[in-house]
Amino acid sequence: MNRIILNLKIALRSLYSFKLRTTLAVLGVFLGTFSLIVVSNLTGSLAKKAEMEIANLGRNMLVVASGTVRTFGGTARLLSQATTLTVQDARAIMHQSPFIAQVGPASSKTFPVRYDQIVLKSILVNGVTSNYPSIRSFEVERGTFFSDDDDRNSHRVAVLGKEIADKLFAGANPLGKHILIYRVPCQVIGVMEEKGVDISGANQDNQIFIPLKTFLRRFVNKDFVNTIYVQVDRGASMTPAKAQIEEILRHRHKIKAGQKDDFTVVDSKDVLQLKTQATAMINILGRISAAVSYLIGAIGILSIMILIVNERKVEIGIRRAVGSRKRDIILQFLLESSFISLSGAMVGVVFGFLASLVIFRVSQLPLVLSLTGFITAFFASVAVGILAGIYPSKQATSIQPVDVIRA
Amino acid sequence: MAICLLKNITKSYELGGESVEVLKDINLQIETGDFLAIMGPSGSGKTTLMNIIGCLDVPSAGEYYLAGKEVSHLSDDELSLLRNEHIGFIFQSFYLLPYATVLENVLLPTLYVANGSNREATEGALRLLKLVGLEDRAKFKPNQLSGGQQQRVAIARALVNDAELILADEPTGQLDSKTSGEIMELLAAMNGHGKTVVLITHDRITASYAKRVVHISDGRLKLEENAQDIQDRGAVI
Repeated sequence: MNRIILNLKIALRSLYSFKLRTTLAVLGVFLGTFSLIVVSNLTGSLAKKAEMEIANLGRNMLVVASGTVRTFGGTARLLSQATTLTVQDARAIMHQSPFIAQVGPASSKTFPVRYDQIVLKSILVNGVTSNYPSIRSFEVERGTFFSDDDDRNSHRVAVLGKEIADKLFAGANPLGKHILIYRVPCQVIGVMEEKGVDISGANQDNQIFIPLKTFLRRFVNKDFVNTIYVQVDRGASMTPAKAQIEEILRHRHKIKAGQKDDFTVVDSKDVLQLKTQATAMINILGRISAAVSYLIGAIGILSIMILIVNERKVEIGIRRAVGSRKRDIILQFLLESSFISLSGAMVGVVFGFLASLVIFRVSQLPLVLSLTGFITAFFASVAVGILAGIYPSKQATSIQPVDVIRA
Repeated sequence: MAICLLKNITKSYELGGESVEVLKDINLQIETGDFLAIMGPSGSGKTTLMNIIGCLDVPSAGEYYLAGKEVSHLSDDELSLLRNEHIGFIFQSFYLLPYATVLENVLLPTLYVANGSNREATEGALRLLKLVGLEDRAKFKPNQLSGGQQQRVAIARALVNDAELILADEPTGQLDSKTSGEIMELLAAMNGHGKTVVLITHDRITASYAKRVVHISDGRLKLEENAQDIQDRGAVI
């Protein structure tokens, strides 16, 4: 071991005289490792984020959206709105399907919100039922959520998202205060916990929740809803539940066979799958670019090793004269080339992790540091070093003391 | 016992399709503890002879016994081991590794000893540096030393594996006469400690430190003379 260190120490000092060339040679390995680390961290983080979003949506969730919904690049978009989805549909789903734990019809629209001198333009106001916190696993932090009674009697009460509460009340206690939503004064009875961005890309903390009946009667004066959240029984399978909901709604909406649905049932797993596909794509592209960089790195190291061997012919001759065997020479130069490669990789790992941290910070992704990426990078760079060192070290063994040592 | 025994050694090279005989039928016996100078003009084949004695090259014909072992049929790696164990080299141009420190240069042959202990090797190397008067230069680089000092480092390197045979090829060729004298005194002292020293030179004064001198010219060993004669003649010159 000490001998290896001693040989490396000597080799390092000789490499020092080719600073620029060595730096260029390890650039490829550096970039390869860098992209490998960044990509594995990023894909890990995106996967984690998707999982978190699914968990945010609520457990065993199916979302019935009014109109046609398509998913683009991981976010769900409403293509056309229908006016046919109603609270009665929600009740029918609850009663006719044996798989359903609970349903929550909901509707939303943006309105200006005012308290005192502070006006917030276009805040998403959700009309929801009292079981909304339980369906979406989204709890009240201060105060209470509204009750069935509030809903039935169209009470003017509101539960604020965390950010809204902070913006309107700036630290003061919002409970009991009256805010003006659109033209309707509502009493604040609760503030939700912090939740972040959900699967549709909406910031959950920048919303206001009011009873659905209040919303439909006093705000939009309509009797249809945008959405019905359906929580399937734990243990029940999602696919038959989804089919059954579709059947119930087609029947209620009198949609004949062959006609297009005027609603869409979205399974959180479908969205997750789409997201995973996008992530896998990033992963593959990243790995390809890493492989190309490693190849360039191997060529760079190969050339610097050929140069080193040429430059150190006399040293090789001396080493052979004092007793180094061919395999000692091969071992020495393979060690040197792997060392060069590894040191490039080391810098790549450091910068890769730093860049990952910056990306996570900027795009607000969860912090995931991938060990797999790290291990792959380690073995890839060692492999590059050894492969690039084989030819030059073979060349080195062809040098005989009598050829280079002249008295 | 003879440490080196050369029997009918011939060495020829192919040069432009023609075979050139560099060494012709060399017979030479070097006893343990001997101090032999091989003298000859350039082109006489003395470097080729040294390469063969030093197991850096193998003869085209003939037998060469080093420490009782016939070496002309050994493989490249076997010759390496033999050199590592039995022979210490000293060259005209010193041939120290420029990137390595003095101590690391002295340690170089110990890197290739099969079961060596690192601490023992370092202790031995430091002891030898003290012996050649360079114990305070262990961390220096060769280019920070004078020629004489570099050659002392080379001598320490030649001794570090405790080789019986020291091969010195023009060891004073790049040194001034005063430093040459010091280096030759050092070699003579090593010989006094029981090392066999083979010296290659074309310089009479350098050769005069040897106990025995052989002349080579045109690939043949010519005459053998007593070192005393050389010394006398050197004095005259």
